[in-house]
Amino acid sequence: MAHAYTPGLLVTPRMRHRVRRVLPIAGDVLVEQGAAVGSQDVVARTYMPGDVTPINLANQLAMPPGELAGVLLKQPGEAIQKGEPLARTKGLFGWFQSEFKSPASGTLESVSSVTGQAMIRSAPLPVQVLAYVDGTVIDVLPGEGVIVEADVAFIQGIFGVGGEAYGPIRCIARSASEDVTPESIPADVRGAVLVGGARIHHSAIQKAVELGAAAIVGGGIDDQDLKTVLGYDLGVAITGSEKLGVTIIITEGFGDIAMADRTFELLRSHDGARVSVNGSTQIRAGVQRPEIVIPLADEAASGDVQGAHGGGVLQVGSPVRMIRDPYFGILGTVAALPHEPQMLGSGSRARVLEVTCRDGRRVTVPRANVEIVGA
Amino acid sequence: MLLPFRCLLLAFAGIAGLSVAAQAAPPSPPGAIEVRDAAWDAGTAVDLSLFPSADESQDAPLEYVVQMSHEQNGVFREMPATVESRSSNQVVLRVAGLTAGQEHWFRAAAVNEAGERSAWTAAGTSVSPVQQWFDGRKLGFLAILSTVCGSILAFIALARSGARLWIRRITGLDAIDEAVGRATEMGRPCLYIAGVQDLNEIETIAGITVLSRVAEKAAEYDATVVMPTSRSLVMTAARETTQAAYMTAGRPDAYQEDRIYYVTDEQFGFVAHVTGLMQREKPAACFYMGQFYAESLMLGETGNTVGAIQIAGTAQPAQLPFFVAACDYTLIGEEFFAASAYLSGDPDQLGSLKGQDVGKLVVAVLLFVGCGLLTLQNLAPSQTWAQAGADWLANSLLSSG
Amino acid sequence: MPLPAPENLNVILATDCGSTTTKAILIEKVNGHYRQTFRGEAPTTVEEPVADVTVGVVNAATEVGELAGRPLVDEQGQLIRPARDGRGCDIYISTSSAGGGLQMLVTGVVREMTAASAKRAALGAGAIVMDTIASNDKRRPHEQIQRIRELRPDMILMAGGTDGGTVTHVVQTAELIAPARPQPRFGGQYRMPVIFAGNRDAAPHVAEVLKDIVDLSIVENLRPVLEQENLGPARDAIHDLFLEHVMAHAPGYDKLIAWADAPIMPTPGAVGDILQEIARQRGINVVGVDIGGATTDVFSVFESGGQSVFNRTVSANLGMSYSISNVCSEAGFPMILRWVPIEMNERELRNRVKNKMIRPTTIPQTLESLIFEQAVSREALRLAYLQHREFATTLKGVQQQRSVGDTFSQQSGGASVVDNMKLDLLVASGGVLSHAPRMEQTAAMLIDAFEPEGVTELAKDSIFMMPHLGVLAQVHPQAAVEVFERDCLITLGTCIAAAGATRPGRECFRYVVEFGDQRAEGEMPFGDLRLIRLGPEQTARVEITPARGVDVGAGPGKPLVREVRGGTVGLILDARGRPLQLPENREECRIVADRWARALEMYPDLNSL
Repeated sequence: MAHAYTPGLLVTPRMRHRVRRVLPIAGDVLVEQGAAVGSQDVVARTYMPGDVTPINLANQLAMPPGELAGVLLKQPGEAIQKGEPLARTKGLFGWFQSEFKSPASGTLESVSSVTGQAMIRSAPLPVQVLAYVDGTVIDVLPGEGVIVEADVAFIQGIFGVGGEAYGPIRCIARSASEDVTPESIPADVRGAVLVGGARIHHSAIQKAVELGAAAIVGGGIDDQDLKTVLGYDLGVAITGSEKLGVTIIITEGFGDIAMADRTFELLRSHDGARVSVNGSTQIRAGVQRPEIVIPLADEAASGDVQGAHGGGVLQVGSPVRMIRDPYFGILGTVAALPHEPQMLGSGSRARVLEVTCRDGRRVTVPRANVEIVGA
Repeated sequence: MLLPFRCLLLAFAGIAGLSVAAQAAPPSPPGAIEVRDAAWDAGTAVDLSLFPSADESQDAPLEYVVQMSHEQNGVFREMPATVESRSSNQVVLRVAGLTAGQEHWFRAAAVNEAGERSAWTAAGTSVSPVQQWFDGRKLGFLAILSTVCGSILAFIALARSGARLWIRRITGLDAIDEAVGRATEMGRPCLYIAGVQDLNEIETIAGITVLSRVAEKAAEYDATVVMPTSRSLVMTAARETTQAAYMTAGRPDAYQEDRIYYVTDEQFGFVAHVTGLMQREKPAACFYMGQFYAESLMLGETGNTVGAIQIAGTAQPAQLPFFVAACDYTLIGEEFFAASAYLSGDPDQLGSLKGQDVGKLVVAVLLFVGCGLLTLQNLAPSQTWAQAGADWLANSLLSSG
Repeated sequence: MPLPAPENLNVILATDCGSTTTKAILIEKVNGHYRQTFRGEAPTTVEEPVADVTVGVVNAATEVGELAGRPLVDEQGQLIRPARDGRGCDIYISTSSAGGGLQMLVTGVVREMTAASAKRAALGAGAIVMDTIASNDKRRPHEQIQRIRELRPDMILMAGGTDGGTVTHVVQTAELIAPARPQPRFGGQYRMPVIFAGNRDAAPHVAEVLKDIVDLSIVENLRPVLEQENLGPARDAIHDLFLEHVMAHAPGYDKLIAWADAPIMPTPGAVGDILQEIARQRGINVVGVDIGGATTDVFSVFESGGQSVFNRTVSANLGMSYSISNVCSEAGFPMILRWVPIEMNERELRNRVKNKMIRPTTIPQTLESLIFEQAVSREALRLAYLQHREFATTLKGVQQQRSVGDTFSQQSGGASVVDNMKLDLLVASGGVLSHAPRMEQTAAMLIDAFEPEGVTELAKDSIFMMPHLGVLAQVHPQAAVEVFERDCLITLGTCIAAAGATRPGRECFRYVVEFGDQRAEGEMPFGDLRLIRLGPEQTARVEITPARGVDVGAGPGKPLVREVRGGTVGLILDARGRPLQLPENREECRIVADRWARALEMYPDLNSL
């Protein structure tokens, strides 16, 4: 197939972006269609059923499960406090009674006459969904959530850890090839989204956590540094629920690698702007990449709504990044797209393309090993 | 009071002896005497080495009598002496029954066949026997002991350092999980019998050790363990163990004391109860771990008819064949005693188990060598070294005397 | 539409809707034999913007039709059936693993007994088992409830208790499921399908506990007594519910179900079926492996206790792209590097592995990265096979029959049914194995990872056709087997491996190989590997005389005479012993790996590195 789709990361200074903000289970939507929302406004809320504490009441009272119903002091459905008696045996002529006190507060949900198991459900847990971007609610999904639309500058990273975070951009590197080290982080970065150039060192992440930064963005990270930060070796790229104190986003890949100039310049041009970032990454069918969303306040036309995915069809002249050794991270433009599969150094035959690198070199790489840069 | 009387008696004996010697031709007295404290003893013996009497020949060895006194020229009394070695220019006599730390003076005389005694030759110096740290004749024992203890300690250290000590799989113990699981799935109890003897029997204790594992599994799976006992003490111990096991498994609430109960001390009364219980309750897993006699086959067969997985363990050789035939798994003797180390995986226990194996290996090697030597001796009676080797093994290395 | 009689089936269209591509193949009757003639593929269209799986199917079918010069799709985008005048096909069949396949949660009483049987039933039906809840899974009840709440499976299979066995435990599990209110993965519109296949006495109680919360179907107990497994009814129920609930809620599947002439199967379930069919028809023991980007499936069919036992396992996090980093952390770098015959920088490799993880579609360009990927794949396959062997056991909790002769050799239940010595055919599929540039590499990866013993035939699935043939086997087993033998499998050759160990350099076995008018003869020192070229259509008579204690299939030290088949690689003599041991020292290990790579002519350009 000559027009095969080639993946890429979306980096755009302007687009109309839609986000779907839904609750994990049905609940209440708090805003109306057409309302303007701020990124940290609550748009929907619900209560998750509380945690359940199972107790084997029959064992606790040393009696057959079938006779439990007669000794219950609370009936299923009633509220109970921790330490309140739940059941009391009749004993012998009112003597030798044994009593069982509830180990948790909540509602007595059920008592089984087969197993003797009693379930106490604690108070429901509130769940909230924020608007995530500054924009307009264009659609309400009743009971589920909303769709928010906004004009934004949008940057997709390749990999991130940590969940959603908000804050002003704070550029801490002079150039895209400058590493993020503890020395490069100033003291007053509380709540900021730090933008560095190249590799993020783990000591820099530690310092960012200490100083209370919201997020840290860089070109690359060393595998060993990531392991130190997470405390374990990441097996599959499904992240987002880590509790590190800071969200980390890398835009290029693992190793010593500088952020693409275009990305760096775009971020630098918005220095100080309040942005929303999300480090959640899911590399599986239905891929999810980390992102930096910069709301645009001006009224310039952004055109139609665009999906938040990069990539496209390769053509001669397309800017590409090579994403596999031996040319990992090198940028260039497509010089030729030969039709016939060619023999690679590995001995496999694959469809290839020729790339003119920034330094003028011309190399041949498999088509699977490039991604389109820019929209 | 006694001492002067004894001196008198000795003096009389001495005179009598002299009078006999005067009648015939007594042998010439022994030559110079040297006294030394005997080596590797408890300080109760000395060695006298004397130059043989001039009348001594190989064909007619002379006897020697030895007398001892606590003073240089005090009252001497005769002491029994054994000949340690004898050559043409030296006879070594050992005198035992002395007091450590006291000065002793010795003199000796030769006696011929006719009972005639020579004149006394006194040793020039006194000797004070010293108590030694070791009995040198037991060095072989020491070597064996230190090998066994050393290897136990070494293996414990090894196990503690995290090295993996390999222990042969004991399927019977691995199958405990399976048996308890079966009982859980089938919704039937597990039956546990810790033998018909009291707690003073090591097998009963081993049985209680295995019980803790069974109880822990049962607690984990939420299965029931029923345990009739034939001794009240066993019941108490079993209850304690089971309760601890339920605590370990994190389910103290599921422990029910009255499932472990005492039936009767009567062997067959107990068996009648247990077989009846099996027929009624149809347990899905039966464990027989302890000392068993005639009841082994009755229990095994009944358990088999009710379709239980059965695991037995005993060190009674006579009962093993019955258990092997009737049960799914049987722990044989040593396996049964190794159970606690095997099940707990505790480095100290594992180490001592491995160390004891070294001891068993030493015994096996000695047995093998001894048998080999005696066989050789029988095949070639002219060779004395084989017999000598076997004697050394039996009398020196392994003798307890 | 009634199915045409098997003898009237001439043109068969089969598709497999994977998560990224939909593959279509055409099977036609040529000169009285069924052959796979054309194939085509198109991107799967389950996700936005198309969101209709049949679009991808039509695209793939159109491509096949164009290649075959036989229109299969009409102007309205409908499949043309039956075949007439060089147009259309007689039947259409399909499998599906789109949307992550069928994800299930299984429960049982004892993990090694009914829960294991439930897991076997779910895996055999082609599901991915997300978790197994059992009374003895070491989790406290509230942790189990939490877990059920977190997972969003497509379906739950409940088992536990023999018939007439425990009721309490089973009801207890139901009581954990009820308050957890499990939510199905796709949408909140329908209730979670739950299959109960446990103690029949517990069924009414379970129904009582779960009423109004889930959609409960009750089928026969899958472990009626501990001595016997009855997985059929549960498996069928899984397939039915898969079609009814799971597939019906995926976009476009209602149409696809209507189009297909046989029930749509989950892809791995179909692969299992064809392997069972082959094992049954040829009377052999088979192991199949499919190594993907995220997961590795291992299938085995072994004769055990007089009956053929099928097992499938999914190693969820052992794969070559999405999960490659997990393979590295589970196996450890030293274990991977032991297969690498050249020097490599570990820190750089670690970063490369992570980069492959986040950009899973890239392919190795240089020989160096190919060697590394193949080393990783050996470890992924080895670990997956290890998990499989641990899972594929005889039933546990079964009474043993003993005689006094067993005193010192008591075997326990639950032994693995997988025995490498009895293995006859090892089938490989999945990118890294089937797209390896040289067949020798595929063969070497299989031998190193699976460590077959004795005589084992090696083959690879040419274009991952096994799923299609699995569904076909339901309709026309003969056709499925014919195509499998002729077109699906590419025979790589035969491996003859010695089990046991002697000292390196000592003689392991002597061999005489006669084929056609040629004869090869020699001695294999322990630790060596040798390749004898033997073409795909050739067979050879082999005579092996092993050294004392070494077993090549006839028993320790016993000579073996056999007829073996050649293949694109040939006959591989493996005197490295089992279990395979490589030197600890990196440099010594590198030299050994280099010697083996050269012996099998794996990398002809190795000298240039």
